[in-house]
Amino acid sequence: MLKARHIPLAIILAVGVWALWPPSDDEATVRLGSGPARAGSDKAARPYQLRVAPGLYLPGTMPQSVGKPLKGLLEVAEKFEQLYDDTHIEFVGSPGVREWLVTQLSAGTAPDILNVNVENVWQDVQKGWYVPLDAYLEQPSPFARPGEPGSKQWWDVFKYQAITRGKAAPDGKSYCISYDMVETGIFYNKDVFDKLGLRPPKDWAEFLDGQQRLREAGYIPLIVHVQNATDWGVDLVFDQLYYPILGGIDLRKDPTREAYLAGYLDWDEICYLYGKGFFTRQDPRWRELWRILKDWRRYWGKDLSTEDMMRLFVTEKGAMYWSASWVVQKLARDPDIPFRWGIFYLPPIPPSVSPYSGGHEMCVIGGAAVQYVVTNSAFKDTGDPATSERLKRAIAFLQFLTAPENADLVTNEVLSMLPNVRGVEPHPELKPFDEFLKRRYTTTKWWFTFDMRFNEIFLRMCDLYLNDGIAEEPYLEWTEKNLDFAVETTLRRKKVDLEALDRAWRQLAPLRAGVKGLPDGAK
Amino acid sequence: MGQSRRRPISQNLGCYGLLAPTFLLLAVFSVVPFVWAFTTSFYRYEIGGEATWVGLTNYIEYPQDPTCGISFRNLLFLTTFSVVVHVVFPLIVARLIFALSSERARYAYRIIFLVPIVVPGVAVLMIWRGLVYGDNGIVNELLRLVGLAEVARGWLSDPNTVLWAVACVGFPFASGINILIYYAGLTAIPESVHEAAELDGASGLGKFFRIDLPLVLSQVKLLVILTVIGAVQGFQGMFILTRGQPGFESMVPGLWMYFNAFSFQRMGYACAIGVILFLIILVLTVLNLKYFKSAEDMTAAAT
Amino acid sequence: MRKRGDILVHAILLVFVFLTMLPFLFVINNSLRTNTEMYHSFFGLPKSLGNMARFTWCHLTGREEGIRLRRPMPEGKAAGEVRAADLPIEQVPYGGAMARLWDDLTRGYRYSWDVLRPYMVNTILVCLATAAGVVLIGSVSGYVFARYRFPGSKALFVGVLSLMMIPAVLTLVPSFLLVKQLGLLNSYWVLILPYTAGGQIFAIFLFKGFFEGLPEELFESARLDGAGHLALYWHIVLPLSKQIIAVVAIMNILGTWNNFLWPFITNTDPKYHVVSSGLYIMGTSQVAENYSTMFAAYLLSSIPLLLLFIYATRPFLRGVASGAFKA
Repeated sequence: MLKARHIPLAIILAVGVWALWPPSDDEATVRLGSGPARAGSDKAARPYQLRVAPGLYLPGTMPQSVGKPLKGLLEVAEKFEQLYDDTHIEFVGSPGVREWLVTQLSAGTAPDILNVNVENVWQDVQKGWYVPLDAYLEQPSPFARPGEPGSKQWWDVFKYQAITRGKAAPDGKSYCISYDMVETGIFYNKDVFDKLGLRPPKDWAEFLDGQQRLREAGYIPLIVHVQNATDWGVDLVFDQLYYPILGGIDLRKDPTREAYLAGYLDWDEICYLYGKGFFTRQDPRWRELWRILKDWRRYWGKDLSTEDMMRLFVTEKGAMYWSASWVVQKLARDPDIPFRWGIFYLPPIPPSVSPYSGGHEMCVIGGAAVQYVVTNSAFKDTGDPATSERLKRAIAFLQFLTAPENADLVTNEVLSMLPNVRGVEPHPELKPFDEFLKRRYTTTKWWFTFDMRFNEIFLRMCDLYLNDGIAEEPYLEWTEKNLDFAVETTLRRKKVDLEALDRAWRQLAPLRAGVKGLPDGAK
Repeated sequence: MGQSRRRPISQNLGCYGLLAPTFLLLAVFSVVPFVWAFTTSFYRYEIGGEATWVGLTNYIEYPQDPTCGISFRNLLFLTTFSVVVHVVFPLIVARLIFALSSERARYAYRIIFLVPIVVPGVAVLMIWRGLVYGDNGIVNELLRLVGLAEVARGWLSDPNTVLWAVACVGFPFASGINILIYYAGLTAIPESVHEAAELDGASGLGKFFRIDLPLVLSQVKLLVILTVIGAVQGFQGMFILTRGQPGFESMVPGLWMYFNAFSFQRMGYACAIGVILFLIILVLTVLNLKYFKSAEDMTAAAT
Repeated sequence: MRKRGDILVHAILLVFVFLTMLPFLFVINNSLRTNTEMYHSFFGLPKSLGNMARFTWCHLTGREEGIRLRRPMPEGKAAGEVRAADLPIEQVPYGGAMARLWDDLTRGYRYSWDVLRPYMVNTILVCLATAAGVVLIGSVSGYVFARYRFPGSKALFVGVLSLMMIPAVLTLVPSFLLVKQLGLLNSYWVLILPYTAGGQIFAIFLFKGFFEGLPEELFESARLDGAGHLALYWHIVLPLSKQIIAVVAIMNILGTWNNFLWPFITNTDPKYHVVSSGLYIMGTSQVAENYSTMFAAYLLSSIPLLLLFIYATRPFLRGVASGAFKA
């Protein structure tokens, strides 16, 4: 019995059903991800259904919310499916949080190819969640044309060789393919700089002076997010302070990584050095590191965790914005930006500002952005990587992605990253970052050294310290406690050979003689 | 109150049978995980790794954990604040609505206060985090508008203000459901009681405190219990608002447990924290019931 | 209750209403503005609306030259070298201008609906299934506890209630490992079953309270007429409990709709995302910087519950008023 008062309800239900009805298939190809193949279609019937979580390049999304929804990967997948008619590729999104990663991998339900950072991978290599790719990298790539890079070894396809090879895990195996590069840089407002007669600084003293002048003129001198400040800032200043004494503390030289990661301090070296008093309250360089950062902090914004730093830069409230190449897309396509802008890199800290600093050029800390791994889901057809056909398809797709025309299609659709494949040029707007990437790599990356617990506590306490929530002494005490726990856990988890490090330490003693500013335990 | 004669076995079995789905579901999804968590708390276990027996080590470690003190301090503050505002403000609003003379107005206000509930909790938290407390959020922009730009800050990232900011999410706490519960309680008070009080010379506030309040005590009790249970174990809000930052200023035990389980992969430790929280809730609820029972007996005896 | 006092009460209540609604007013307003508008000023009505009105007026009064828009930013130009302010403003045809402005106005809604639509379907499915399950199981169990005495009934009831106190966070990880073993990950069941298991506790509590309040004579007369247990339940008890069912169903739907952590961890396949976890994932992805999309998403995610409340408030209020909530 349809009464008058039922009519609004009926209308609402009708509208609801119409709104919720799945859209027709040709529209459905450009959504968040691509969805599984339509049931009953030819694609769905193929035996190998691979799931790929491509991260930034997810079809249907608009990175930085600018431009049109991405479809590059869809085209690449189409081409691949024509070559391998027993495979269908589905693209899925992946939340970036570690909790998701851990639960999916332990359950064996993660996508077959996944975009994940090395620090997440290195922690868990002993659990068999990832497939080591060395065997494939040392073979030719089937998609490289004769005489071109990749025809002898898949390794050769990559442009930034050292960074790519440097992503090998501490156990010596490579689990990640670095698909593209990202680098940090300081974006600055050219109009404001011109107005105040400033230019990109040549050294730290000039840098601080410029920031002071900017602050007096009413601008926020530098906009930076606390996460980046604790990650990049710490590594960069650490390199300035510890590179001069690296000769005396670099305990292990790994020939396969030496070409690029010359003198890189791995976690076991860090653990050992910590035992000798480095990175504690007795280490004057460690104290200096925090002093420099705290001193610099006064030129940053008031709220270091705000989500709209871009807004502050674009509305000219902030004169400099420390971010990375992924921001270029947004700035370049902003229809309302009222000023000219440029990019420069952090200037070195001269000895006049800090006695322990070497004054050498600031190292580079960026590197691979999108890193692809092959997970344990890829060989779930037979459960054994050696016999799995599915795994072969997954590897083939990765190799297909690194063919120059495909890399161009995928990476250059977005104005954010620099392609890591030889023969593929980045967008001209990203040229400055290409220059930055030629610098020497950092001494260590604290974020990659230990585990998530260390990082989480490290980040939080640094945040608190920079925001005057804790004084310097208690802060250093906290850091030591954190390091204590992390070192103890790491030594237990990874069974380190301290004997070899001890021998190396004694051998390097002459290089340490007479060096100022060493902690007591190291003299 | 049923009969006291013994029921035949078939009827008892029938009862158990009808209750079977309930208990099956509860056993699988509540009891089994709880027992598993309880046993794991005595091990050291990482997902994908192996489990080693460590006895009470995890329980001993937690009180010494540097975040423990801050977590419980925050928990105490937030729970107390939560209980006070979620019990007091809706009661005030319900009483005000009740005082209106027009039935249509009363109905309208009850509906209006229910409207904010339709926004999903996640959205509300994200709205508060970004739109209200953000650097160019409502609070800061209003301050700048009236010339108090100096006071503007990142409310959720300043260690001094973060806890108050988190506590004040949901201002002015006029939660529709609580208002309705109180309103129902107020309507249940018979008119004769009001009249008798007025004859005795009571009016306005006095009437409120001596008549209304004791008679809605059962509603208050229920809300207090629910709020306490929710506050002690809940950390969804904190997860979305601050993730415990800055530093550990806004950490709560539930969130630390979550991090330990999923980020740091210290399952055994995380389970120990969870068991400790369970015991706290247990104690609080028992105390709550006992306290309110005696209060109720007193008022029942007095009236 | 005098009229003069009424005005004061209205005033105070309206202040409460205003403070409560304030954030949502901003959300509604900002969902119609573009990102760059919001960058440049926080307060302000959507420029697109103002422009649309202005252009329509110009069009209707024949003043076409008043319809002017700025040329879009050129692509491929050396980045950073062009100021938007230097780009020319030129006259555009009315139809084109309106199309662009409409696009600006609704971009947030279109894009967020694109993302939310499948989540919405999933959430509605899960909520309805859970509510049905909870009402069914809860009412049966509540009935059994209320009307029948059997060995251990009190102990079992107290046991059931005490499970309400287990912190959800404690059972989070073991429950996850359990459903992974059962193969339920990335499906609807992984949400429906645990929600039903948890939601029924409160439902049993409410139903038992209600059923205990039913007068014994009701059952006596029916039993004298020869009604068996099932008939008692189906024909007598259920029709009377419409209000309690409404309360239980609504509270359950509310809880299920808002539950975020569990779906976030278990249903990571975007096909099975629900609204709450989907919103959070949107909010932590790059979409988060696109304010108009996020605000539109918040509003769109509220529509189903809004509809529910429009139709369910009356039964809900009656159910609450009938004394359901007594501890």
